[in-house]
Amino acid sequence: MIKPEAVGLSLTLRPPYRPSTIAISRKGTVAVAVGLLAALGVVMYAVKLFSWGDRAEWAYPAAITLFVLSTVTAAPLVAFASRMARGYWGLPARRVVELFALPSMLLFVLLIPILGSLPPFEQDGVTRANLWFGWGGGAPFLTDQLAVSVMLLAGGALMWFAAVPDLAGPPSRVRAMPAWKRLLFLNWTGTKRQWVVLRTSMRWISAFYLMMYVFVTMILTTDLGQSLLPGWRSGIFPAYHVITSFQGAIALIVITLFLLRRYAPSVGQFIGDEQAASLGKFLIALTLFWFYFFWSDFLLVWYARLPSEVAAVQTNVAVTYIVPFLIAMFGQFLIPFVTLIFNPIRRKLSRLAVVSVVVLIGLLFDRIRLFVASMSSENPFSHGLAELPEPYYPNAIDILFMIGVVGMVAAIYLWVLTRIPTPGGWEMREGAMYRREQKYMHAEVLVLGKPD
Amino acid sequence: MSARDSDRKRELLGLYNEPDDAADAVSRLRGAGFGGTDIEIISATPYPEGAFGEQHAKHRLFAFPFAGAACGLAVAIAWHIGAQIALPIVTGGKPIVAVPAIIQVLYEGTMLGAVLFTVLGVLFESRLPDGIGVYDDRIADGLIGVSVMARERRIPDAQIALEEANAVDVLNKDGSLMRPAAASP
Repeated sequence: MIKPEAVGLSLTLRPPYRPSTIAISRKGTVAVAVGLLAALGVVMYAVKLFSWGDRAEWAYPAAITLFVLSTVTAAPLVAFASRMARGYWGLPARRVVELFALPSMLLFVLLIPILGSLPPFEQDGVTRANLWFGWGGGAPFLTDQLAVSVMLLAGGALMWFAAVPDLAGPPSRVRAMPAWKRLLFLNWTGTKRQWVVLRTSMRWISAFYLMMYVFVTMILTTDLGQSLLPGWRSGIFPAYHVITSFQGAIALIVITLFLLRRYAPSVGQFIGDEQAASLGKFLIALTLFWFYFFWSDFLLVWYARLPSEVAAVQTNVAVTYIVPFLIAMFGQFLIPFVTLIFNPIRRKLSRLAVVSVVVLIGLLFDRIRLFVASMSSENPFSHGLAELPEPYYPNAIDILFMIGVVGMVAAIYLWVLTRIPTPGGWEMREGAMYRREQKYMHAEVLVLGKPD
Repeated sequence: MSARDSDRKRELLGLYNEPDDAADAVSRLRGAGFGGTDIEIISATPYPEGAFGEQHAKHRLFAFPFAGAACGLAVAIAWHIGAQIALPIVTGGKPIVAVPAIIQVLYEGTMLGAVLFTVLGVLFESRLPDGIGVYDDRIADGLIGVSVMARERRIPDAQIALEEANAVDVLNKDGSLMRPAAASP
C-alpha cells in the first residue's frame, strides 16, 4: 500500500503543528549561484531593451516567456485540483505549488517588450490574421496584459489568502497591528465565519485562476504564435498548449518536491511515495494527451494538404525546426511514456524527477519550435509562406537571457520560501485530523474522512 | 442596574482542550436559551461545518463575484463599443459592433470585475471590527474557544453553561472569571 509519510499522520492539534519558513543562507553556494543567475537575467533584459531590435530579436525571449507560462504559472492549479478532488496526497504540496504565484509575476514584465514588438493589425491596407478582428481599442498589448494581470491578481490572492492563517499568529499579535495591516491579514482570529469565508474565497479564486489561465493561454499563443506565421491555422493549438502546460507544471512540481525532500527536511519529511504515485499518474496521463492533441492537429493538415497550412507545419514541425521538434517529441512523449508505464519509476520521487527533467527540456524545445518560428517570420501579412524560412538561431544574448529568466524565477521562489511558512500548517493539521491508519483484519488500511 | 444596562450584551469566552467539550458547551448554551449568531466558535484549525452543533456561518461572499462580473461586463461593453464607435472600421462586411468579435474583451472585463470584487469581498467579510471582542492566545496553541454574547442579566447563565462543559478557562474582556485554582493553563 502506498502510504502517506508517517510524520504527516501524527501531527497534533494541541500543541498545534506550526510550519516554519525555510532558512536559506544568503552566503550559501546555492543562494549565490541563483542570485548571480537572476542578476544575469536582469542585465540581459536591460540589454535587450536598450538594443531594441525588430520582432525577431524577441523570438527567444518569447519562447522562454511562454515556457514560464507553461510551467511556473500553471503550477498553482495543482493545488486547486487537489483541493477540489479532496486529494489528501496533495496536502504537503499545496503551499509549495501556490508559492509559484509570486515568480509568475515576472510574466507581466517579460511580456511588455514582447507584445510591444508585435506589428499592427493593418499595414498598407493589408490586415494580418488576428484574434481581435482588427479591434483598435488597445489589442493586443492592452488586452493581453490586462488578461495576464487579472490572472496574476487571482494567483497572488490565492497564495496570500491560503497563507494568512499560518502567517497571522495569535490574536493578540493581529490586534496589535495597524488597521491596514490587520485588514491585509484578514483580521484573522480563527472564527468559524472566517474559516468559511477563507475556504469559499479560495475555491472561487482558484476557479477564476483556472478560467483566466486557459484564456491567457489562448490569446497569448494566438498573438505570439498563430497570428504571426502565415498559414498556421489551428483550433486545437490553444488546447494543446494548455495540456502541455499542465504536463510541464507537474514536471516542475515533481522536481521542486524532490529538491525540497532532499535539502529542506522541514518540508521534505512530509513528501514521499504518496505524492510521487499521484503526480506520476497525472504525468503519464498528460503525456498521452500530448500525443492525442498533437496528432489531432497534425492529421487534419496532413490530410487536407492545403499548401499554406502544409508550409506552416513544415516550418515548425517537419523541416525548418525539425531538430527542436524531435527533442520535444522525445522529451514530452516518447521518453516519459516508455518510462512512466513502469510502476517502480512512476512511484518513486527520485526517478520521477529524472523523467520530469526530460519533460521540461522537451517542453522548452517545443516552445522554441512554435514561437521562434512565428516571432521570426518575415511577413505576417501574407496568407501563406512562399518558401520555407531558414531556422532562426539564438545568439549569446538570447541564451543568456533564457538562463537569466530561469535564474530570476528560482531566486524569487527561494525568496518566498524564506518568507512564507511551508507546507501549509492549517491544512496539514486538518488532514491529520481526518486520516488514520488502522488495522483491518491482517492488513493496515488508511481511513479517510471527507467532511464536505 | 438600569433596564438599559441589563439589556446590553457582553461577551464571554470559554476555552476547551477537547472538541467534545466545546460541542458540549454549545449544547448547554443552546439549552440555556442562547443561540443564533450569539454563539461563535474560534479555533486554529478548521473543523467541519456543524461539528460543534453551531449555527451555519452566514456570509455574503457569493454576492461579490456576481456584482463584480456585472460591473466588469458593463465596463467592457462601454470600452468596446466606445472604441468601435470612435474608430468605425467595417471589417469583413460585419456590423461595426459585432458580438462574436467582442466576446474576448467582454470575458476579460467580466473576469476582471469578478476577481477584483471577490478579493474586496474577502476583505469586506473580514471587516473591522468583527464583533469578537474577547480573545485568548491559547486558541493559537490549540485550545478551542466558544464565544457567547449574553445580555447582562443572563451572564451568570452563560458562565455556568460554559464552566459546566469542562472549560479550561472562562473569560470576559477584563480577564479570567474562574477561580485561580479552577483555571488550568
